[in-house]
Amino acid sequence: MPSDLSIRELTVNYGPVRALHGVSFDVPEGQIAALVGSNGAGKSTVLKAICGLVEPVEGTITVGGEAVAPKPGAALRLGVALSPEGRRLFGRLTVEENLMMGAYTVSDRRARREMLERVYGYFPRLQERKRQAAGSLSGGEQQMCAIGRALMAQPRVLLLDEPSLGIAPIIVAELGRIIEQISRGLGMTVLLVEQNAQMALSLAATGIVLETGSVKLTGTGHELLASPEIRAAYLGH
Amino acid sequence: MSFLIAQSIINGVILGTLYLMMAIGFTLAFGVMRIVNFAHGEFYMIGAFLALIGVNWLGLPFPLALALTAALAILLGALVERIVFRPFRADELSGMIASLGLAMILQHAALIIFGPDPQSFPALVSGVYRLGDLIVPQSRALTLGVGVVILLAFYVFLMHTRMGRALRALVQDQEVAAIYGVRLEIMYPLGLGLGVALAAVAGGLMAPLFGVSPFIGATPLLKAFIVVILGGLGSIPGAALAAILLGLIESLTSSFVSASAADIVTFALVVVVLLIRPAGLLGRGEA
Ligand SMILES: Nc1ncnc2c1ncn2[C@@H]1O[C@H](COP(=O)(O)OP(=O)(O)OP(=O)(O)O)[C@@H](O)[C@H]1O
Ligand SMILES: [Mg+2]
Repeated sequence: MPSDLSIRELTVNYGPVRALHGVSFDVPEGQIAALVGSNGAGKSTVLKAICGLVEPVEGTITVGGEAVAPKPGAALRLGVALSPEGRRLFGRLTVEENLMMGAYTVSDRRARREMLERVYGYFPRLQERKRQAAGSLSGGEQQMCAIGRALMAQPRVLLLDEPSLGIAPIIVAELGRIIEQISRGLGMTVLLVEQNAQMALSLAATGIVLETGSVKLTGTGHELLASPEIRAAYLGH
Repeated sequence: MSFLIAQSIINGVILGTLYLMMAIGFTLAFGVMRIVNFAHGEFYMIGAFLALIGVNWLGLPFPLALALTAALAILLGALVERIVFRPFRADELSGMIASLGLAMILQHAALIIFGPDPQSFPALVSGVYRLGDLIVPQSRALTLGVGVVILLAFYVFLMHTRMGRALRALVQDQEVAAIYGVRLEIMYPLGLGLGVALAAVAGGLMAPLFGVSPFIGATPLLKAFIVVILGGLGSIPGAALAAILLGLIESLTSSFVSASAADIVTFALVVVVLLIRPAGLLGRGEA
């Protein structure tokens, strides 16, 4: 299986604090990979580095074999879109305007309209609320809007940072199903970052466990779910 | 009496239009670049002089002079962003101080070039419209009409175009806008340029009514401040409401009481609004 996104020896500092120590992993094409780990492990930092929001001290990030420059917008040009931690919608813009911001660089009108219809297909509630300010949505709806916004960029690689954060368990299950549908239906590569390891690993073909800035374990989702180490550390068994 | 009221209301709405044109550019610079631009009033002054040069010296028709003023102002705004504000992008306080310095430079440059005396602007149109008892000078009607059209055009740009949407998104979250491909190195000069152009066009538009001198920028800046505070930082409907309200209050108070009473009433209003609604009339908690 060729890998779509490759991270090699990624090292990131915040001032004097080292957040990532030479992290390497691959995300195979067209599959869901889960990046799990506890609070402060460095998961979001990996995503920020991919999108050029933090500049790595060392390491390379490649998408489809091409190196990503450490600048905001560079990853997007290679087909990577992020749904950021905490959703970060444009709260005063309407739901539909948020979605259109995702497609800011997509110049093909038809492609935009088709993707918009797809997004409304995945998340009918967004269509019902499309003229509403995004800031007035419920947490679960905001998460759907953030995922939808990322999809609107027509990415080959979708990065999702903690979609389950602060969301009712029943909605988390629904989101999980939709993420699976998206990956299958659009053949999209998904890197799913989660503290909710149970949810993420059960969806994922590949799992990567991050601990204090280093990769601790990798394996298939099932292997990791079954591993006693993981169960003890992340699943509370 | 009712005639006088109607007259003051029209004047108030004209003032409101001017204040809104000033306030939008001011709040845009703050929203997009986090800069409190104290030089904003000087662009009003420059706009008035540019229009004066166009009409008096070059003999251009007023609409053309105004259009050229707008175009030059966009370039000037972009240049100012590049030279004055960009070095302080991560440092709001220094950016603010730089804008104060810029205001002084611009005002004194105008003083050196044009001298301190007020210059008269030729009347564009003479004559009046009569609506029953009401007499509206055509020059005022023209100013109001053009101002409203410009504001509407700007509103449509901001709300219904791709770039306008990107500017609004940028105001909310720069990082996220940037990762979705909004290019800050284009949007910053554009945002400042448009705001400066609105101020300059306001200056040119108001010049025939209020005259031209190097010192005319201070009052519109102050009014822009008040409108933005009253309306709620970053809220355009709030700014529109506050601008019209402010214009009406000023015009009615100075007609029926006195001009200095108008200032007192204005500041009393600001104090009351801030006490009751600290985020402004239509403002929300966050900036
Ligand atoms: N902007 C920042 N400045 C300084 N330190 C930071 C910053 N962002 C993150 N860190 C630190 O870097 C480390 C990794 O943070 P990161 O946000 O990547 O963790 P995470 O795995 O996403 O955690 P969570 O599950 O809580 O989101 C933490 O120790 C955090 O305190
Ligand atoms: Mg995180």
